[in-house]
Amino acid sequence: MPDDAHRSFVSFQDLLARLSQYWADQDCAIALPYDLEVGAGTMCPETFFRVLGSEAWRVAYIQPSRRPADGRYGENPNRLLKHTQMQVILKPPPADIQEVYLASLTRLGIDLRAHDVRFEEDNWESPTLGAWGIGWQVMLDGLEITQFTYFQQCGGIDLEPISVELTYGLERIAAFLQATSNVFDVRWNRTRTYRDLRFQEELELSVYDFEAAETGTCRQLFDLYEKEAWRLLDAWKETGVEIVSERNRMIGDEPVAKSNDEGACQLTPAWAEPKRFPLRKVFEYCLKCSHLFNILDARGAISVTERVALIGRVRKIACSVAAIDVARKTRSLEAQPA
Amino acid sequence: MSMAGTTSLLLEVGCEELPARFLEAAERDLGVGLGAALGLLRPPNGDGRVSTYSTPRRLVAHIPSLYAEVPGTVDEIIGPPVKVAFDKEGKPTRAAESFAAKNNAKVSDLKRVSNAKGEYLALVLPKAGRSALEVLVEALPVVVGGLSFPKSMYWTVKAGPRFARPIRWILALLGEGSEARVVPFEFAGVESGQFTFGHRLAGHEPIRVNNFKCYLNDLRDHLVEANPEVRRKRIREELKVLLAELKLRVVPDDFLESWVVNSTEWPEPLLGSFNPRYLALPREVLIIVMRDHQKYFAAEDEVGSLQPNFVTFLNVVGDPQGVIRQGHERVLAARFADAEFFWQADQKLTLEQRIPMLERVTYQAKLGSYADKVGRMKVLAEKICLELEQTRRMTSEQRQNVLRAIELCKCDLTAQMVREFTDLQGIIGGLYAKVQGESSEVSEAIYDHYSPVSMEDSCPRSVIGAVVSLADKLDSVVSGFSAGIEPTGSSDPFGLRRAGNGIVKIAAERLPGLALDLLPAYASGYSIPVAEQSGLGERVRNFLRERVGYYLREVAKLRYDTTRAVVGSALGWSDPSDAALRGRALEQMIHTDDYRAMSQAAKRTRNILIKSAGDYIAGIQNVRVDLLREPEEEKLHEAFTSMGTRLLDLEKQRDYVVAFRELRAMREPIDSFFDHVLVMTDQPDIRANRLALLNSINAQIFSRLADLSEVESEDPNGDELGARDGAARLKR
Repeated sequence: MPDDAHRSFVSFQDLLARLSQYWADQDCAIALPYDLEVGAGTMCPETFFRVLGSEAWRVAYIQPSRRPADGRYGENPNRLLKHTQMQVILKPPPADIQEVYLASLTRLGIDLRAHDVRFEEDNWESPTLGAWGIGWQVMLDGLEITQFTYFQQCGGIDLEPISVELTYGLERIAAFLQATSNVFDVRWNRTRTYRDLRFQEELELSVYDFEAAETGTCRQLFDLYEKEAWRLLDAWKETGVEIVSERNRMIGDEPVAKSNDEGACQLTPAWAEPKRFPLRKVFEYCLKCSHLFNILDARGAISVTERVALIGRVRKIACSVAAIDVARKTRSLEAQPA
Repeated sequence: MSMAGTTSLLLEVGCEELPARFLEAAERDLGVGLGAALGLLRPPNGDGRVSTYSTPRRLVAHIPSLYAEVPGTVDEIIGPPVKVAFDKEGKPTRAAESFAAKNNAKVSDLKRVSNAKGEYLALVLPKAGRSALEVLVEALPVVVGGLSFPKSMYWTVKAGPRFARPIRWILALLGEGSEARVVPFEFAGVESGQFTFGHRLAGHEPIRVNNFKCYLNDLRDHLVEANPEVRRKRIREELKVLLAELKLRVVPDDFLESWVVNSTEWPEPLLGSFNPRYLALPREVLIIVMRDHQKYFAAEDEVGSLQPNFVTFLNVVGDPQGVIRQGHERVLAARFADAEFFWQADQKLTLEQRIPMLERVTYQAKLGSYADKVGRMKVLAEKICLELEQTRRMTSEQRQNVLRAIELCKCDLTAQMVREFTDLQGIIGGLYAKVQGESSEVSEAIYDHYSPVSMEDSCPRSVIGAVVSLADKLDSVVSGFSAGIEPTGSSDPFGLRRAGNGIVKIAAERLPGLALDLLPAYASGYSIPVAEQSGLGERVRNFLRERVGYYLREVAKLRYDTTRAVVGSALGWSDPSDAALRGRALEQMIHTDDYRAMSQAAKRTRNILIKSAGDYIAGIQNVRVDLLREPEEEKLHEAFTSMGTRLLDLEKQRDYVVAFRELRAMREPIDSFFDHVLVMTDQPDIRANRLALLNSINAQIFSRLADLSEVESEDPNGDELGARDGAARLKR
């Protein structure tokens, strides 16, 4: 086959390494994948917190991402419950960002002169995070390989400066490079395929999300995580640092689940201090809720109206977290490492 | 105006890829904005016209001829007449002094100017001329910044400019060749310059521009065809040539064609193929996968059956090794594999078996599930069918088919295929019904029941489908209004206006004679209490009347005033096809002097009746011949009596053209009545009788087929203001 992509074979792990190296060369810190279930690389703290505030930042990381509704028991050649993203944040974006992005494809061995790369309008939005942006899906010979977004808002807060977020779908790119039509046939390395590493996990996660998950338990877990998030958020009031999110005044207005341990609230806990406040833990509970919501959704257990309500509950936590983060940043209340 | 020579302007706003759907409007708006901003610089002849071009990466405007400067102007502020301004001794009077003071001038600064009325004192203020460059430096950033898009972004600072995508370069060239110079300005952090850029693949070096012709040619050398109409022509020709070799033709698709035009700088066709086994999938599914997901044109043979080929347009020069084609074919195969999977999975449950599942599909929070909606649709459909059966426009067998189709029509919402391809709702249901052995009447009705989705879309093919669609849309409107989700201003989150338009279009084109104003009452059989809300029927009726007005203007292409005239007439709007017929007939006569006069008379009649409302109601209902005094009122009464009978005849035959022609006979008697007879006379019984006469004429003639008092003497469509006024009035 006279395909240029075959001149040098690119395994799945080569792909991870080459992209990481490319973005490292662009002064990105190569962060670690986040160790919680997330629906997309955007949901990791390295994106959520970094796009807020004014500090310039460049980061890239590989992020396994779960979308329970896309599970196909490992039987569909293209759809995966858990797929792998390469997430890149450039804040502020350079003026030649499109060229910088295209050069990353060249680094993967894609000859741009022999292929058709298109930037087609596609505006990304994450209602649970109160985040959205303007951008494109990047199409490579008709295949969507990257979501390219000029981030405009995160946690309900207008961003300044904005960031560019690049999200590569790595399985698809690997399948493209290896000219295979089934991602499970992608060579992970010289001896192993994607199937060898991932099939069983796809199957088992699909079985749980579609069949075994107990919706009542999932709802309870959702409530519990949400309650814990609000227990922490309510304590922020004790810091006396006012927060105002641009869209909503989040904290204090009708907390969804109040801590019933009233006695504990009498004294200001030691951790309710701006610099030490466990904001990232609140965010983790927010992510937990988001993932449980996705599982319930995949089970078809959520009606249209309930859907809106649940998304709103997750977003409320996310927007509060963002507001606190911005308040700390603007008042220089972040802890400085010793 | 003095001419200090002419120059030209070339403006190119270079962007990152603009959304294809915004491009045509943005190009047009740039031309309009520039034309308006440079009004004084543009010669009145055709050379001053703005021509515009666009690609996804640029918006271009060119004005071949511009005055090199705006000549200075002289403003005159006219003061008092000279004879008032100076006394006998020639000293300035108080009038002169105060005029001067008001304008911060001395009397000695004032000049004498003459006009038709005489000689006046005036303050003359010369305004310096400005060069084209000065004007442009100010105007261009305003014009560019004034472009607006359905969705825009900021990328410099939050308070900074907004545009559809970031602007990366600006070419602003005044004059050509050795005269050429940059119009220097800055927008969104970008300095204007004398350079453009080619296609991404043609290198990143800036291309220096000296004149417009070279600009277009240099761009072509760098793989950019800036003229969208040239790209469109190329696309059409390439499609034809490419497919002719295979004895195929493209499935025509205007949306897709425009999308390709507006998303490429250098469109090149690519012919691909797919495994023929996928042809077992329905044509509709194959086309939507190719078109909506992949932006491919589908191909069919001479008899119209789909072939396993597609055409896509690349934005590169070609694909000599076939790698791009292979890529597209792999993607399409995966898409089809998905669709095939859905199709097979969906067949495990028939539509009939899916009926109970509708209870779990929410229609709207306050309005319950789709099972509830289907129940309400049945209530409405039964009454519509009954009405149609009474007038022999439907049989009871057809009614059974309507009810069966309604029972099944929403079941495809539970199918995987529809969850994946939401635009195929209804169509998928129809296809499934067919393979599952439902009659062709039923499956066709299900297939069609969302149409028409717009005024351009066609109505359901059969009367069965028309009733199903009507019941669906009517329920959306009635129950939507009852739940308080009716459209307000520009917001219509549940698409009720579109549903209303569909109701009117179906009534006009498939079920003529069905009285729209009776429809809201059919909902009284709803088991949910919402239908009993007070005023609900009236609100829905008003809404439908407004939609009929919209239909008459947008589809029947009636003028604003004729639309108001027929909608507000006694025969009214309830039968939109009849209203359209009357409107068209009226428009044949509307330009005549007779109608101008009669419109005045009708207005006068209406005003008198409004002002004296109490009078005639308390007085005489029917005209009493014995109380007619003047010859003019006797004549008018005579004319009215014979015209009234004649009009009823013509109305029955629906011969409105003749009716409006003959109506002209009323002009003479009504005019001479108003000229010679005093309506509001002191004698109460005679006054009441005259009012009764006018009232009868108003009801049976002037506002019977159309309310002639609404007719304007000038075509109100001619200007924007008239149009807006018309819309506003119609809403009331």
